Amino acid sequence: MFKTLIGREFLDNLMTFRFAAAVFITLLLVVAATAVLIKDYERRLESYNTSIETHRQRLRKWQTYSPGMGRLNVDRPPNPLSLFNVGLDKRLGNKIPVSHSFVPSLWDAEMDSSDNSFLNIFSSIDIVFIFEVVLSLLALIFAYDALAGERERGTLRLVLTHPVRRGHILLAKYISAMLCLLVPLLMSLLLAVMLLTTSTSVSLSTDDFLCIGGIVLSSLAYLSVFYLIGLLISALTRRTGTALMLSMFAWGFLVLVYPNMILATTPPQDASAARGASAFNQIKQIYEEFDRERRNFLANDPVPGDDPAFDMDSPGRWTTGDGFMENQLTLLYYYWNVLSYDEFYDRHLSQVPHVQNYYGFLGPRIVNTADRVWLIRKQALDEIFVRPAFVDRVLLKLSPVGVYDAATQACAGTDLKGIQDFFDTVRQYRQEVIAYLYDKKAFGSRLWFAGDEEQVDWNTLPQFSFQGSDIGTKAKRALPDVFLLLTINLILFVIIFLIFIKSEV
Amino acid sequence: MWHIIKRELYDNLNSLRFALATVLLLALMLTNAVVHLREHPVRMQKYRDAATQSLNTLTSRTDLYDLAQKGPGKLYKKPSPLRFCADGGDSLLPTLADAASYFWSTNTSKSFWRMTYPSATPNLKNIDPDATNIDWAFVIGYVLSLIALLFTFDAVSGEREHGTLRLMLANPIPRHTVLIGKFLGAFISVNIPFVIAVLMNLSVVSTSSAVHLGVDEWGRLGIIVGIALLYLCLFLALGLLVSARVRQSAVSLVILLLIWVSFVIFMPNTLASIASRFSPAKSYDAFQEDRRQTRRAILEAYYTQREKTDDPSKRMQIAGEYVTEDAMQDGRVRQEYLSERISQVSQARTITRISPVAIVQHLLEVFAGTGLERHLQFVENVQLYDREYREFITDTESADPESPHIIGVRDGMSKKTVSPASIPTFEDTLSLGKDFNAAMMDLLLLTLFVIVLLSGAYLAFVRVEV
Repeated sequence: MFKTLIGREFLDNLMTFRFAAAVFITLLLVVAATAVLIKDYERRLESYNTSIETHRQRLRKWQTYSPGMGRLNVDRPPNPLSLFNVGLDKRLGNKIPVSHSFVPSLWDAEMDSSDNSFLNIFSSIDIVFIFEVVLSLLALIFAYDALAGERERGTLRLVLTHPVRRGHILLAKYISAMLCLLVPLLMSLLLAVMLLTTSTSVSLSTDDFLCIGGIVLSSLAYLSVFYLIGLLISALTRRTGTALMLSMFAWGFLVLVYPNMILATTPPQDASAARGASAFNQIKQIYEEFDRERRNFLANDPVPGDDPAFDMDSPGRWTTGDGFMENQLTLLYYYWNVLSYDEFYDRHLSQVPHVQNYYGFLGPRIVNTADRVWLIRKQALDEIFVRPAFVDRVLLKLSPVGVYDAATQACAGTDLKGIQDFFDTVRQYRQEVIAYLYDKKAFGSRLWFAGDEEQVDWNTLPQFSFQGSDIGTKAKRALPDVFLLLTINLILFVIIFLIFIKSEV
Repeated sequence: MWHIIKRELYDNLNSLRFALATVLLLALMLTNAVVHLREHPVRMQKYRDAATQSLNTLTSRTDLYDLAQKGPGKLYKKPSPLRFCADGGDSLLPTLADAASYFWSTNTSKSFWRMTYPSATPNLKNIDPDATNIDWAFVIGYVLSLIALLFTFDAVSGEREHGTLRLMLANPIPRHTVLIGKFLGAFISVNIPFVIAVLMNLSVVSTSSAVHLGVDEWGRLGIIVGIALLYLCLFLALGLLVSARVRQSAVSLVILLLIWVSFVIFMPNTLASIASRFSPAKSYDAFQEDRRQTRRAILEAYYTQREKTDDPSKRMQIAGEYVTEDAMQDGRVRQEYLSERISQVSQARTITRISPVAIVQHLLEVFAGTGLERHLQFVENVQLYDREYREFITDTESADPESPHIIGVRDGMSKKTVSPASIPTFEDTLSLGKDFNAAMMDLLLLTLFVIVLLSGAYLAFVRVEV
């Protein structure tokens, strides 16, 4: 009997116009969007490759460590899974300076792209966004008359005269509709993945396919949530017209209005300005102390004085400078200096050991101060920027759209945590570079600033590489949201069951 | 006909959709007003502070050479008080143009100012989740159009299903009267919640002292509401058309929703993304290379010229010519780069006009004084001012008979103090006439869409079998 029920419902759904329309529109939109997104990704990849090359060449121009440390840049590769959910991948900076004099964070990244910044006024559409809008709408269209319609036509009474359990009817309806909805979902996703794999520029690893699997799973859960919302409305109302109106407005509210409205209404944080100012002052104080120490050393040293160029000039190319870099908004404050000579006049050669001595003293202190300051800065940045952003995300999760978005972003690795992973890797890389400098005894060496005798071999510098967060972490981040979706499903189903059991036909 | 309208109206007013639409529109418009009241004063304050500071630096200079070398400083774009109508991605567009000079200098001359157009990258540090701003453009473009479809999808097909259509047409009423009656009935019943929401929004916005709306702004608001009504007609006509062609109202709704999703949600952004590839602007690196080459050529010409002569006054003249030429040419290259990027975006926007929501978005931006069109006007104002400022320098210079008239070198220019009052100041103005010009094409296109859809609905309804 149960099978007959499912078969009947399935055929009922399959033969409708709405099914054909659903398949057609999802395929059309997803394929069109994927084609556009692949082109976009290719462009970003190309721009990434060029900037890696430029940065490498720019570094090679320097024969000494000091200017090299000011010009070492790391590039963030575009994430191929950003096609599914772009998240923060495209928005945040992709060129991160790496230096021994400060610890880089997400807020110090710059955008290194040939893109026209005016194009930012167009928002980009990814595959998950299409699902968010279209699938939820389709699910509601499939669900609104499932119970109310049968009740209106009287067929529900007819079915219930047979010895069938009400739960079975409900389950049959659910399973068959979900099967029907799966067709457009899977077909469009398959086509999208096919397009992806045929494109030469996008290379997907096994892990990436697992992540796509995670996206499919969360899409399913999302779809089912909206189907059950529709079914709930259908069980509650006596007429299909009412059910339809309620479903449409519920959709408009949950998908269109709520996510935008809640973000507009969250008040700006007033406390954060004071918090930022206090952290900034703390950081400044540490650097003042550092500066005093530096000046003391220079005062006690007999020769140089406090000119960063040590009163030297050069017949060849030379560059020099020092100072404090500050950006109060992102709590950035650090001491930088650069000194490099290609050649020396003979009269200056006697000064070189003193300069060596000074940088041998200064280098490790710069590193230590930067590390100390980072602890303060990280905490303040977390409180000022990251926490409100997480609060916003939690508020968004009151709508299934927000949960779905968060889950797929986590799968794709384009969520805030995924991006933070990248910056963690950059900070690790900075540590590696510093270890390399210590290893080469670079700080106290001639090679720090003098390129007249030898030249730095930049090939021995550790290479930066970022493979994306590993699948385990991604799963750990995505699973709570997927479970949340599943729980909503279960709760909705139980409610519908209870209502349906008690309802009169 | 009045009878039909009245009947439709009563039907709609008593329905659930009317109540839900009212609640939704009211909530959205209230949010919009509250957010605007919170953000606008901050924005204005920031603008005023920055503009005053820049003006003070400018008027504190009394030396003509200083004025000629450093230029007018930073010029800021005035925030629109009507930003609650259409945000227009204003937060993603640059807010200033900067008259900047470079470090190049010799003992006698320094590099002159040229207008630079810094690009805005505010999103670089933004880790908040994505969200569309709730402005009128969103409420009208997305929500109102959806409501219009929900009010009309069963207008004809529903009556046919119930059999009431046959009943009505048995009376001696011409069919077009029925259609017009239905149209007007739906129009009025969607308008009631919309107008209430708009009035409430405006009353909240205008009673606050933080936002000043002048006569000009109220006129613009009137135009914006007019555009909204035209757009509403478009979707009502579409709903009637589909409803008349299709036998079942469920099918009619599915078709309408799919059309809505593809045209309203999907198309504008995807089309823009495709279209922006057709005419890519010069890349940033290519632009920098252009600049470098232009400037190097001028610099080399300057060096060779200078080698030829030892006469100090002649040398001064050459140096003066060099700094002005360098500033001119560099400014020109920057200008070209800017217009190339803007034309890329404008072209992409032209193609999105297939979608009515893009048209209405564009129209609202134009009349609210935000978005790309506003930015173009700002750039135009900056260029006008640029010319005015340069003229002021040459005029003041030639007004002084004692000066050797070599612009570009300190010793070659007038030593008279310049009175701060005579320095031209930048004013970022908006003119409604220009806005109409920019909007004309969109207005016509929107009207065309409405007429086509209305006649389509009429034809479909006349041929309908009951």
